[in-house]
Amino acid sequence: MFLEIDQLTMQFGGLVAVNNVSISIKKGEIHGLIGPNGSGKTTIFNVLSGYYKPTGGKVSFEGRVISGLPAHQITAAGFARTFQSMRLFKTMTVLENLLVAMGHHATVNLFQEIFNPLAVRREEGRFVEKATELLDLLEVGNFANELATSLPYGHQRRVEMARALATDPKVILLDEPAAGLNEVETEDLRKTLMKIRDLGVTIFLVEHDMKLVMGICEIISVLDYGKKIAEGTGPAIRENPVVIEAYLGKEDD
Amino acid sequence: MNITSIFIQTLIGGIGIGSLYALIALGYSMTFRSMGLVNFAQGSIYMVGTYFGIIWYRGMVMGLHVPYAAAFLIGLLCNALLGLLLERIFRPLAKLDLMFMLLATIGLGFILDNLFTIIFGAEGFAVDSPLSNTPWNIYGIRVLPQMALLIGVSALLMIGLQLFLSKTKLGMAMRASAVDFEIARTMGIPTNRMNALALSVGCMMSAAAGILAAPIVYVAPSMGAAVGLKGFAAAILGGLGSIPGAIAGGLVFGVLEALSAGFISSQWTKAIAFIVMVVVLMVKPSGIVGEITVEKV
Amino acid sequence: MKKKSSILKWIFIGAVVGLLLVFPAIAKSRYQVHIVNNIGIWLLLSLGLNIAMGYGGQFNLALGALWGVGAYTAALLQTRLGVPFWINLPLSIIAAAVMAAFVGLPSFKVRSHYLAIVTIGLGEVINLFLVNQDELTGGALGINRIKPPSLFGFPINTDERFYYLILIMVILGYLIGRQIVSHRIGRALRALRDDFQAARAMGVNTGYYQILAFAISGAYAGAAGALFAQWNSYISPDIFEFKSALIVLTMILVGGIGKLPGSVVGTVLLLLLNEYLRVFERWQLVGYGVAIIVVVLFLPGGVIQLAGKFEDFRHRWLARVANEKPDMEEERNVP
Repeated sequence: MFLEIDQLTMQFGGLVAVNNVSISIKKGEIHGLIGPNGSGKTTIFNVLSGYYKPTGGKVSFEGRVISGLPAHQITAAGFARTFQSMRLFKTMTVLENLLVAMGHHATVNLFQEIFNPLAVRREEGRFVEKATELLDLLEVGNFANELATSLPYGHQRRVEMARALATDPKVILLDEPAAGLNEVETEDLRKTLMKIRDLGVTIFLVEHDMKLVMGICEIISVLDYGKKIAEGTGPAIRENPVVIEAYLGKEDD
Repeated sequence: MNITSIFIQTLIGGIGIGSLYALIALGYSMTFRSMGLVNFAQGSIYMVGTYFGIIWYRGMVMGLHVPYAAAFLIGLLCNALLGLLLERIFRPLAKLDLMFMLLATIGLGFILDNLFTIIFGAEGFAVDSPLSNTPWNIYGIRVLPQMALLIGVSALLMIGLQLFLSKTKLGMAMRASAVDFEIARTMGIPTNRMNALALSVGCMMSAAAGILAAPIVYVAPSMGAAVGLKGFAAAILGGLGSIPGAIAGGLVFGVLEALSAGFISSQWTKAIAFIVMVVVLMVKPSGIVGEITVEKV
Repeated sequence: MKKKSSILKWIFIGAVVGLLLVFPAIAKSRYQVHIVNNIGIWLLLSLGLNIAMGYGGQFNLALGALWGVGAYTAALLQTRLGVPFWINLPLSIIAAAVMAAFVGLPSFKVRSHYLAIVTIGLGEVINLFLVNQDELTGGALGINRIKPPSLFGFPINTDERFYYLILIMVILGYLIGRQIVSHRIGRALRALRDDFQAARAMGVNTGYYQILAFAISGAYAGAAGALFAQWNSYISPDIFEFKSALIVLTMILVGGIGKLPGSVVGTVLLLLLNEYLRVFERWQLVGYGVAIIVVVLFLPGGVIQLAGKFEDFRHRWLARVANEKPDMEEERNVP
């Protein structure tokens, strides 16, 4: 019972974006979520990360219901996410972006924050160390003091992942991490994801790049029009006629 | 004078003041709808428009005493031109960070307020109504003729605007431009000109409000500040960007204010107005009628 | 290269500090000291507002009213109960900070342009209260004969003496501000401003920081209020109306919004101009409006941005002279 999405339904007015979807994710897994455009993938992510409160069903994490909690509490519970449209903090350096994400682990309280600079500096030093480790892991350590949005696209994507990792998550939600990446970069991404998995983080991934999905995901769930239509390993999904139908029926995405 | 007639009188006063707020709220909503910008200078534009018209009526320009109706039209025209000018100024602003956009319009209002204080002095003046100053007496209810004029002409303007927007080609082009900037552009609609038109209309409405209300309220360069704030509150109440919303919001606001002034202490009416607005914003941010969301690239 | 500029920097700072310390002695007249004291008080206001608005993106246009809350708290405590300044001050700070937190509550539900008007409105409500509660606040006439503070029996009742008190408070205010913005709180505030949703996703408790931003600006305003009341010995509601919030806004915008030194630059600049162009009274206010628009359109980072551009230019020029590649890395590390 690690991450359970239990009969999740998300309705916006008359539109049912997610319809009674149940997905079970095991600890340490790399789980993929695919489906044609508009099938409800990002909506599920938004519910998971606390942006939406589900209109039906629930999400449980380590036995505790987390759906409906405010976003920062969900992050505190161990969820991190990246965004489809990258959302790095534009006035901050790479390092500062990560430090923000580590903020909720801080042990100094408000009073100390203002009046005890020594304690602050000590703790911040620890954070900077950990952040630098993460940045090095994702091979963007050299850019720590650069303005985050001044980096080339591929690097920014890695910074975003590093930032998500900086929240010290148990689960990381990756929203189309390969968007805009070329073949070489996508291969790098695959290696990065393996590194993340090796850190002990469970990965839940939405992606359109089939090669990446097949290459790295252990289990894949397929959505269409808000419903789950298939689930299984890569090869099983590839051969599944229902899945093929769903994609073919959509023409070009 | 029984309680009913006092009530109706207050109500009428409320509708009158409400018409004023409605016209100004229209200015806010039209600007927001077309350019995605909240124009904090709208109150100042109301003041400016009032002066543009009233100075002719009052013989302050070369001693010429222009009849009220003509002065009214002159004021409208001047403010219409002002609206065209504003579109030019707002064009670069609309692309900016929200905070800067707001600050710039606040600054604009500041400029207008103080400029007119320099020109006309901080002291204001009272304006005589072109109609009689003695109230009509209808079944024991006393109504100032000017108030009736205010309500009547405002109503005509608002109905006219609605018809314009829904029935004429130009009006529909304006609406299209507001709904989707990009698509309207590809359809060949000159969006900048549509925006200019929207702003002009909004400014004209404010001028109309001011000139009609001038004989009732006091005319001074500071008149824009309070009214501007309330007009915005009214626009929010009805749903920012919505034309019927602005009208509804303005009237409701005016009536609320009149009723609380009449039946509770007038000192606190200002406070009550704001509290109502804050409550509405927190409970139903999209307003009574519903906000039009503006997606600007 | 680096060592040289570092030494120069310290010499510069030393000179400024030295100047500040002896200023009353070298000033040409008592009036000059008075002006500088005034600048000091407005500095506190603009530091506070810059933290809330510049760093945190929270519109607090009720600042004038909060200043008033601080001033009235101190004034009432002093005139009615004889409470000394040293106790007034923290109480004013707390009162204004708490009031500011209330003003900030709508920020949860309400977005930027609405928040601006809500805070203006709430500021007006507070001012209305101050004007209407004649019994308590003296109404439109205000409160006068506020006694100046005294330190162990030594009265601080001249501009020269106030100067040092204000100087200490401004320096403290700046240092505290710097501590706030350079670490976790500052980063959280900037995250709020840069991307609210992403901040939430990264674990930032946005509600808490929004209120905190308001409370901080309130605290500074409270301090400024207490100081002002006992310095000016007279206060009235019209000092604290919306106009003052707008003036502070202009100061931080012109100086450099989002950067603490910007507050200093903007405040000093505008108030000095105010003095030298006193003749032009109303035109000054028009000028403020124009300044806002010009800054917003052409120089959103304020004067500080100009200084930054100048720095870059200087680097490139020096590098070209020395015929080596410009090394911008070290300058970037300066907060």
